[in-house]
Amino acid sequence: MRHLLRNLGLYAVAAWASLTLNFLIPRLMPGDPASTMFARFRGELQPEAIAALREAFGFTDAPLHEQYFTYVGHLFQGDLGLSVSYFPAKVTDVIATGLGWTLLLSGVAVIISFVLGTGLGVIATWKRGGWLDSVMPPVLVFLGAFPYFWLAMVLLYGFGFILGAFPVRHAYSDTLAPAFSGEFIFSVVQHMVLPASAIVIATLGGWMLSMRSAMVGVLAEDYITMANAKGLSQKRIMFHYAARNALLPNVTGFGMALGFVLSGSLLTEIVFSYPGQGYLLIQAVRNQDYPLMQGIFLTITLAVLGANLLVDILYVWLDPRARTN
Amino acid sequence: MSRRLLMMCMSLLSLGGLVHCSKSSQESAQPAPAAAPTAAAAVKSTALTVTQEQQASWIRNFNPLIAPGTARWPTRAGVYEPLMIFNTLKGEFVPWLAAKHEWSADNKTLTLSLRPGVKWSDGQPFTAKDVAFTFELLKKHKALDFAAVWGFVEGVSAKDDATVEFTLSRPYVPGLVYIVHQPIVPEHKWKGVEDPVTYKNETPVATGPFTEVKVFQNQIFELGRNPHYWQQGKPAVESLRFPAYPGNDQANLALLTGELDWAGSFVPDIERVFVSKDKENNHYWFPLVGNTTTLYVNTTKKPFDDPRVRKAISMGIDRDQIVRVAMYGYTRPSDATALSDAHNQWRNPEAVQAGDWTKLDVAKANALLDEAGYKKGEDGVRVGPDKKPLRFEINVVTGWSDWVRAVQIIAQNLKAIGVDATLKTYDFSPYFERLQKGEFDMSMGWTSDEPTPYHFYRDLMSSETLRPVGEVSARNWHRFANKDADALLRAFEGTSNLEEQKKLAGQMQMLFVQNAPAIPLFPGPSWGEFSTRRFTNFPNKDNPYSKLTPNSPPENLFVLVEVKPK
Repeated sequence: MRHLLRNLGLYAVAAWASLTLNFLIPRLMPGDPASTMFARFRGELQPEAIAALREAFGFTDAPLHEQYFTYVGHLFQGDLGLSVSYFPAKVTDVIATGLGWTLLLSGVAVIISFVLGTGLGVIATWKRGGWLDSVMPPVLVFLGAFPYFWLAMVLLYGFGFILGAFPVRHAYSDTLAPAFSGEFIFSVVQHMVLPASAIVIATLGGWMLSMRSAMVGVLAEDYITMANAKGLSQKRIMFHYAARNALLPNVTGFGMALGFVLSGSLLTEIVFSYPGQGYLLIQAVRNQDYPLMQGIFLTITLAVLGANLLVDILYVWLDPRARTN
Repeated sequence: MSRRLLMMCMSLLSLGGLVHCSKSSQESAQPAPAAAPTAAAAVKSTALTVTQEQQASWIRNFNPLIAPGTARWPTRAGVYEPLMIFNTLKGEFVPWLAAKHEWSADNKTLTLSLRPGVKWSDGQPFTAKDVAFTFELLKKHKALDFAAVWGFVEGVSAKDDATVEFTLSRPYVPGLVYIVHQPIVPEHKWKGVEDPVTYKNETPVATGPFTEVKVFQNQIFELGRNPHYWQQGKPAVESLRFPAYPGNDQANLALLTGELDWAGSFVPDIERVFVSKDKENNHYWFPLVGNTTTLYVNTTKKPFDDPRVRKAISMGIDRDQIVRVAMYGYTRPSDATALSDAHNQWRNPEAVQAGDWTKLDVAKANALLDEAGYKKGEDGVRVGPDKKPLRFEINVVTGWSDWVRAVQIIAQNLKAIGVDATLKTYDFSPYFERLQKGEFDMSMGWTSDEPTPYHFYRDLMSSETLRPVGEVSARNWHRFANKDADALLRAFEGTSNLEEQKKLAGQMQMLFVQNAPAIPLFPGPSWGEFSTRRFTNFPNKDNPYSKLTPNSPPENLFVLVEVKPK
């Protein structure tokens, strides 16, 4: 428990540091949001409109520390300001349109990839030298070396465009309205197959390999020999003795992956026109949309911190040493 | 970014296309499997599917008064209509909510007579009071006055229900376009709006052809017809459907799979990529009425302050090669007036004749540079009297592949005249900041896109738009001003006589040709693609009633009311 409490303090400091960086980094970027905004119209606006745009978007020349206090103050009221690129929508509203879909897509993909990859790692090590152990790792590492979005494009082209087996865009059929009906849920699943596959294929190898190497180490331990000597069932040794102890590095990795769920699948979302958060971030950076950028970074930061907290809790349960320290 | 992604996706697609081509030549009896995705089959034939904005998900916003491009397309035009619409292809104003306009003798008063019988979509009559109210709103909220109308307008008043009078602070005929293109909002709905600058106007009440929001989800929305639309029997299309695509490549993919009926995106090698997929229905039309892609040189710096050097650089550029290689042959080289086809009726043949410096002529370019005092050094690069070699960077935006290729060609070309130019790519924001502050040697850029050459040349030659280097200037990036141009522009502002205007515009062209303040490369195509599978009567080169592109409001309103179901 003390371990957790001490960590909570660390989390608070990390959260504050990232909030501050979050505030500073966009402001260190070259360029000026009003002129970027103006540039989007490529000569359609009157020059005088720059002043109008500045006013509309509320860009200020106030000193940095004043801006910082306003920023923190608003943050605690849950007010992230108005988005520039989606003006005049609130940042919270803009993020709300995509967050759920991103969580669903990447969350499902990461969980599938983790469970499948870890499972494959356990089985491959258990049957060392078998075909699973010799064929899968190199193939998966090869696939994992490709960026997600490239795999996404290949899947899109092959299964979506040529074969027409899966929809090539959006999170559900355009003719449906969101509802808790079988038809809608089926449509969501169908639309998720290709983008989720791209993420799973690209990340599977990592999970399998790290699980495999951890397992190999654990299998050489004396207590495994002991368990074997005691004549315990192979299944029990594999899961309770070996896998549970070898799981720790993967759990850490899982926490990180969960945290990066929000930012990681950005390009996959773009390839499949998935209405998630990915494009919002690019749009925000391109338009120097400080409020939106900060909002998105904030959700990512909080997600990473939250996921790490979860992992800490999981550690306490998995690893007795964490409890006693 | 998105362009690079587009190129990658397109090359992937075309790779597949190649594979597919070679395959189908072997099994030519097989029907093409490419264009048969499930999505297209589900689309109702009554809805016209359009893409114009690129977003991952839609935010419900139909406020026509805030920055163009912020509210959902077609809020400006298709939902809220303007008083008149300038038709670029015909070069004339078409009466819309206003039936006619009239200038007073001194060109200081503009009287607009409104069309009778126009109703808002809630059934209330549209009157002059609505027009006056809209302009008063812009006066009260500076942030809404994007055309800077109140910079030259002194007052607006509704004389009676059908007449509006604008009094100007000075004779300013070119201001007409800014007044009549302003979308008009209903007073009875907007007078209660607390802050029109941050108002999302989720359920619009307007005069346009499409005012009913039938569906609004984050990945698609649909607009239905206005029950009270003033043009009897129009629009023929029952509704407009807008799926969200985050970028050009996804929109192009939808175009290929037959989901889209109308689009306005850049498609590389369109004949092969798009038209050949369905020759009967897939069409495109890229009239050269966009702005002119221009190579700007910083005229405050040596050697670019010398018109001979500017002309020599221009003469060293092989525009034919640029057009062919960088632009897929979609356009043609510019002439020395720099005007695109949008200003064809203004073009002065004498000025075109006098301007030889947009034609490739390496010998003459070399002679000009010799004459200007820039002798060739030992390494083949010319050196100025100040002993500085002519070594420059040309700024261009990262990922704008057509421009990047054009600059590569230019850099190659300029070697022949002893100018060592190198490509320098920046992300858009830093690129544009340098451009606006005049902190560059050479930079790619565009020109303004407005009805008459007045606006065009004001931005290129007027001291009114001139700012010192280091200060942000929205126009006149190359920092050039000319007293004669100022006088011509001032005279143009004061006359509503077309013949007189043409004479002045002709003189401006001559001035531009003589001084070469900027180096025009090619007129920009106005991108537009359509499919006749479900709808017909799109403008095209045989029926050029308007621009095809959905990207330039309010002209796209012509298309919205003319398109018919098949």
